Amino acid sequence: MKHLSEDELIEQYYGEATSAADAHLKACRECSAQYAKLSRSVDAIGPVAVPLRRADYGESVWERLSPELIPYQKKVAGWRGWANWRAVALLVGCTMVLATVFLGGRYWERVITKKANIASTPQAKQRVVLVVLTDHLDRTERLLVQLEHAGSKDQADNAQLQSEARELLASNRLYRVTASNEGDPQLAGSLDRLEGVLAEIANDPKLTASDIDRVRDDMNTKGILFEIRVLRARSSDQVSGHGAAKGATI
Amino acid sequence: MQGSDHSIARAVLAGDKEAYGALVRAHSATVFRVAFRITGNEADAEEIVQEAFLRGYQRLESYQGHSTFGTWIYRIAVNCALNRISRPGIEAEYRHGEESDPAEKTVQVAAQDADPERMLLSKEIGVAQDVAMRRLTPTEKSAFVLRHFEERSTSEIADVLNIAPNAAKQAVFRAVQKLRRELAPLRGNA
Repeated sequence: MKHLSEDELIEQYYGEATSAADAHLKACRECSAQYAKLSRSVDAIGPVAVPLRRADYGESVWERLSPELIPYQKKVAGWRGWANWRAVALLVGCTMVLATVFLGGRYWERVITKKANIASTPQAKQRVVLVVLTDHLDRTERLLVQLEHAGSKDQADNAQLQSEARELLASNRLYRVTASNEGDPQLAGSLDRLEGVLAEIANDPKLTASDIDRVRDDMNTKGILFEIRVLRARSSDQVSGHGAAKGATI
Repeated sequence: MQGSDHSIARAVLAGDKEAYGALVRAHSATVFRVAFRITGNEADAEEIVQEAFLRGYQRLESYQGHSTFGTWIYRIAVNCALNRISRPGIEAEYRHGEESDPAEKTVQVAAQDADPERMLLSKEIGVAQDVAMRRLTPTEKSAFVLRHFEERSTSEIADVLNIAPNAAKQAVFRAVQKLRRELAPLRGNA
């Protein structure tokens, strides 16, 4: 029988365990003892005593804040605003612009129909997305390799690593959400694990060699690097047209 | 409350600055609480309250009213607090504090027990807990505070910290494991 891991026990403690883990805990004496031990130690992490605020605390916050606020410009609300001649002129102007855009668009559409048809095929779109994803995985791989070899106490190197991680974090989030929506659990899972590493590096206040060691140990960056290499190879294959339709479809 | 929050926000956007005062008065205490729990410092928490409401005012146009104003400003406050504890200067100050006299910075209250030995132990545990919390990374600390003290779900934590749910869960796991390891010798269990 496979016993529950510490992570699963923590999930259980916070009431987010799966029903299987829940059932196992009820049946297994050893896990139950481990859980009781964990509960005792986590229960003992007492609440931080928050200093009391006076009843009029909100008022005092507002008094300090109010002088710093610039009022939003008043807007003419409701239908009355449209009654004046300026609104009518604006409406006429907008109608003319729309008509011009519509007619121009129809003309332009005829000119570029053929080109657009080629570019808007799902295959073409997929190819573009794959190229972008490959580039992201490429950059990520470089960062993880740098991380694997980073041992320097040079703050400039670490700052560069951190800045790269911040940039990648934003794009990674986008790719992860898209992969998840498109039903590619392998890609979404790897990007999810990668996001944890990027967040740790990006948010570390003073990235030192020991912090990097900790991230490497805690988050198994070697394993993630391997996953990224596999994904990059897969997505490169697809870009060059040798890959099957199955796989990274974001 | 959501409807009234939204109507107040609309009034503010229409030029009624004073209307924002009602939102500030209603949510200041909650914002202070979470800011203090994350930073562990009263002065920092006070500044975060000001900063969060100022940012909230400046970004009020992006408040869509899908959630209550309380939830929205809470998210801004947590991010302000996370930024605050991520600043190198602040971190260095905390680390310096640890070395000199951690008791000065502790926020743990000793048990109101007449037994001096127990009081001393309780105080020691409080100090150790404070130090252990400061050793967590900003993401781990924020995730743990939101999970353990603020009783937020994993998805709420992920939403507030703008990270994936699994990353939020992992941050909580790492925080709990580190705290258990650090505090085990004092409590005599693992």
